[in-house]
Amino acid sequence: MIEFQNVSKVYSNGTKALKNVNLHVDDGEFVFIVGSSGAGKSTFLKLITCEERPSQGEIVVGDQKLSQVKRGEVPYLRRMMGMVFQDFRLIQKMTVYENVAFAMHVVGASSREIRRRVPYILGLVNLQGKADCHPRELSGGEQQRVGLARALINSPRLIIADEPTGNIDPALSFEIVDLFSEINKRGTTILMVTHEHSLVKHFGHRVVEIHNGSVVADSCNWEARHE
Amino acid sequence: MNNIRYLFREGVRNIWSNRTMSLASIGVLVSCLLLTGAAVLFSMNISAAMATVEGTNSVRVYMDKGLPVLSSLKVGEQIKKLDNIKSCQFISKDDALQKVMGMIGQKDSTLLKDMTGKDNPLPDAFQVSFQDLSKYKNTVAQIKQIQGVSSVNDYSDVAAKLTNLDHLVTTVGFWIILLLSLVSLFIISNTIRVTMFSHRLEINIMKSVGATNWFVRVPFIVEGVFIGLLSGLLSSMILCLLYDKLTGTLTSITLFSPLDIGPLQWRITLLFLVAGALFGAIGGVISIGKYLKKEGGEIVEW
Repeated sequence: MIEFQNVSKVYSNGTKALKNVNLHVDDGEFVFIVGSSGAGKSTFLKLITCEERPSQGEIVVGDQKLSQVKRGEVPYLRRMMGMVFQDFRLIQKMTVYENVAFAMHVVGASSREIRRRVPYILGLVNLQGKADCHPRELSGGEQQRVGLARALINSPRLIIADEPTGNIDPALSFEIVDLFSEINKRGTTILMVTHEHSLVKHFGHRVVEIHNGSVVADSCNWEARHE
Repeated sequence: MNNIRYLFREGVRNIWSNRTMSLASIGVLVSCLLLTGAAVLFSMNISAAMATVEGTNSVRVYMDKGLPVLSSLKVGEQIKKLDNIKSCQFISKDDALQKVMGMIGQKDSTLLKDMTGKDNPLPDAFQVSFQDLSKYKNTVAQIKQIQGVSSVNDYSDVAAKLTNLDHLVTTVGFWIILLLSLVSLFIISNTIRVTMFSHRLEINIMKSVGATNWFVRVPFIVEGVFIGLLSGLLSSMILCLLYDKLTGTLTSITLFSPLDIGPLQWRITLLFLVAGALFGAIGGVISIGKYLKKEGGEIVEW
């Protein structure tokens, strides 16, 4: 699903954000990305979503080499990804239903399709009864579930989540990651950046640790390093 | 089709959610269109007046007041004998009064009814046309020397003055309109930029779920076009009303007969709508283009 081949990124101010990263994520995998602030996690995500281009190396997402993706093709590449943010990024004046439907409008879905799919996805994230609520009427966990519903609505092959549990009650974090795991079981690849070691340990998915722009640990040896 | 309806609704919603700036944009654009329209109408009136003056290729020669009709006719014979005279038509003071009464309309002409016959204050006159316009000044000078001639209504001066005025209005109008157009574009694009900043989160989400730049642009262009259309409609209505009022007053206090705006009204409205929409669209394209290029191109802001 994702392939990083000798990828480096140097910003115009000289900051070396990623150094010679090699990484392979299979279709249907669940991968936690961990690392301290400034380690290069955000750059890693920006490169996958084409917000930034690598200074060196090649990235493949799905079947597409990102070096061959032109600027005008980036929106179409992003349609196979769903993005979940730490700050939820919900539009406050819109209801839960409208927030989710908004993502379908953007890709030109028909009204009938929107009416059919939004309730189904809201059911998937256990928000059936909250369709008419506004974000401010929901708890942090519920707001993040709306964010997840929005990410899922266009049936992406890959979900990228940047600390999705960072702004919610720790007790609810497990519930949210559980939901991600459920979605993963249906075949969607999940890439989740997190700082919460307890979550990483609990779910036992693959873990990639980035430190100073390099991948310093991958999967099994991660726990051993932190024991 | 779904998208068009959605984007259209979003554009209209933008105007309402940012109504103070939208009103400011409409105000400036209306002023700009009004000034443009006023300058064009003024120019059209001058052109029409000049066409009338030049088209007649003639002067009006007024006799001394109280000069008997017979003497006036003798003066006419003298004029006809001059070189360069094509025609010389006598206009009695009674005919002149009737013409004036006809021009100012029935309502006001009752005032002049007591001025007929001996009380008619107008002099007898001749309408004289020339064969060669290059000898215009010389011929006018010769006519002025004839005894009994009080004055010659010299249209060459009027035409020259009208031309000068037209040039002045065109030049000053051009710069004012250019300046106001730039101000309008600046204000419209800033209005839309304000809307854009207040919609940053939405744009951000749009970009994250794969919206094309055109999808992001359209509501802001729709906003600009709507501001332009509203301004166009408003300014054409104001211009037509003001012109009507002003020319009505002018006609009643002078003998000036301005162009009738009736047949022009729809053309003015259509032109203003197109100009307004164009201004709005350009304003929208400028602001969103800058934003997408510099700040929000492919930004997801992880």
